[in-house]
Amino acid sequence: MEATGRAKLIGLLAWLAGVALAGVATAQEPLKIGAINPYSGPLALYGDEMARGYQIAVNERNAKGGVLGRKIELVRGDATNPQQAIAAVDQLATRDKVEIFVGTYVSAIANAGSDAALRHQKLWWDTNALGAELTERKLANFVRSGPNGSHFAEVSVRAVIEMIAPALGKKPNEITVALEHEDSIYGKTIADVQKARLEEKGVKVVGVGAHNFRATDLTDVVMRARRTNADLWVQTGYVPDTNLMLRTAREQGYKPAAIMTVGTGDTFETLEALSAEYLEGIFVVSYPRADISEKYAPGASRFLDAYRKAYNRDPIAPQSLSAYGGLLTMFDAVQAAGSTDPAKVRAAAAAMDKPLGSYPTGFGAKFDDKFQNTRALPVVIQWQGGKQVTVFPVEARREGVALRNVPRK
Amino acid sequence: MSDVLHVLVVGILLGGIYGLVSIGLNLIFGVIRVVNFAHGELVMLGMYGAFLAYSLLGIDPYLSVVLVVPALFLFGLIVQRLIIEPLQSESMMQMFATFALLTILQNVVLVITRGEGHNVPTKVASLGLELGEIRIPATRLIILIAVTAVAVLLHLFLHRTLIGKSIRAVTQDRQAARLVGINVERTFMVTFGIGAALAGLAGALIAPIYTLSPGIGGNFILAAFAVVVLGGLGSVAGAYFGGMIVGIVEAFAGYYIDPELKQAIWFLIFLAVLVVRPTGLFGQVGAEEVGFREQS
Repeated sequence: MEATGRAKLIGLLAWLAGVALAGVATAQEPLKIGAINPYSGPLALYGDEMARGYQIAVNERNAKGGVLGRKIELVRGDATNPQQAIAAVDQLATRDKVEIFVGTYVSAIANAGSDAALRHQKLWWDTNALGAELTERKLANFVRSGPNGSHFAEVSVRAVIEMIAPALGKKPNEITVALEHEDSIYGKTIADVQKARLEEKGVKVVGVGAHNFRATDLTDVVMRARRTNADLWVQTGYVPDTNLMLRTAREQGYKPAAIMTVGTGDTFETLEALSAEYLEGIFVVSYPRADISEKYAPGASRFLDAYRKAYNRDPIAPQSLSAYGGLLTMFDAVQAAGSTDPAKVRAAAAAMDKPLGSYPTGFGAKFDDKFQNTRALPVVIQWQGGKQVTVFPVEARREGVALRNVPRK
Repeated sequence: MSDVLHVLVVGILLGGIYGLVSIGLNLIFGVIRVVNFAHGELVMLGMYGAFLAYSLLGIDPYLSVVLVVPALFLFGLIVQRLIIEPLQSESMMQMFATFALLTILQNVVLVITRGEGHNVPTKVASLGLELGEIRIPATRLIILIAVTAVAVLLHLFLHRTLIGKSIRAVTQDRQAARLVGINVERTFMVTFGIGAALAGLAGALIAPIYTLSPGIGGNFILAAFAVVVLGGLGSVAGAYFGGMIVGIVEAFAGYYIDPELKQAIWFLIFLAVLVVRPTGLFGQVGAEEVGFREQS
């Protein structure tokens, strides 16, 4: 009996030692984060750009000891469409033992990927997708730290009232606006919000037009916009149609007092297509960029330095800064939760109350009941001398920045 | 009134683009009876050819045609010889093969460019004519002149030269053409080569207007098929005037009705023409039947 008791005790001690050792082993295992993005195909450029932002955040955090006492490892999952997103999540969750998923700037991929991650009981922390419907689903594992399409619309309206109208010497009820959008749900949602908010503020919306972003000709769109005689022409679309529209406006000599594009029109692709001279003064509602005021977005310069050091160039697109800032926000939530469990991280996120200007994007962190960050605001840049300069909110401007070429000459 | 005239000018210029993109497709469709779904990708290759010529050699896109057109002609010969000809007795398979070609070309360009949008600058882009309120951009005027020249030259080529006559003979009756000693296979190769070269020409000339992407050919293919069926199979005049009709209808529908509906409206007209005159406006009655019967 005594021998049996001793054996049991030894067994128990051995088991406890085993558990403890296993615990040490787990603590030393890196925390794997699956970054789902298109890394091949036509959408790869910005997918890669986002992964660069994530990697910089991971490097920075690892230098400070990681998260939950564990080093972080980024694992890429290539998804160019929703089907591939599901496959990538399945593979990363089972083969690579990824604990958290992050992504992506393509809403359809975020939609399918987050759903697949839920089946594996993993968190999906979204940093860049804009589709408003993503948070409407109230998925139990979903958090979005970046803005959605409506935020882009809201900021564009604020910029019209607080910046563009005064620059044109007009009160909000004196300025006229023509809205144009590509005709998918993306463009339509933004234009609908813009129209409603502008009219609430007394702004006259003198035209709303829609077009297919694959259209081979947009002269009709430009002629219809000119017919409205609007002070400001606002276009929401993708790169090809935005470029074609601006080219056509130039060819047709259409010169509204101000032009604003939403979500695109701020990359080298547009600069190449139109030239710095033509773009001078055009506004673009965009993700925060690294030129943003350090006071408004503490850490943006640090990001820019790290990016330049790692990739030997300036960021290709602003998506990387949002990805970087979004991941830093997630690290804070995971650290506060003490776990990677979706429910615990979401509870920690719900408790976050960080004011605007807490992160290198200028974002804060305050999540609504759908886990949409309500303190993630896009900015407005203006093309100045071939460079994209942050001009709105005014607090986000760097010292000495002023508007140029308003009204357009 | 000035609006109507302006829209008409816009439509004619747009028709020039559609005509130029369609003329090679029409030739291949009319003569070889292959529905070449990869035609848009041949146009895309022409656009990237102009881009390459500009970025590697610093050549203006309008001068790049001297490189792009022969390159695409050669590419067309190879495609016909290695892909279309072996499937000569299986028209359905030929169609699938052009689908495969479409996917391959798009993906190869995707891999090379990583999906980055490219632009082909030219000094011509800032030039144009101003007639009162009507603006005629030089980039589009050049295309209109080019398509008119191509239509006339192609017509002369098909009617005055021996190869042209053999192409017409093969179009009308493949078997009879063979009986009188025409090398049908070689004629097909030359035809596909010319069709591809014309796609290359179209690509190089429209490159300064658009931001290039690997999928851009697909934007034109719907209009090109509409032009071919509307204008008439294998008819040069059909492609030319079919392009004009589609361009003008699109411009008027886009300006006076709704830019979202313009495609639907020209497809309605397309359907109406198909029902009333299945050979298209300029097609030879019965030509399409003879051609398809020949395949079996």
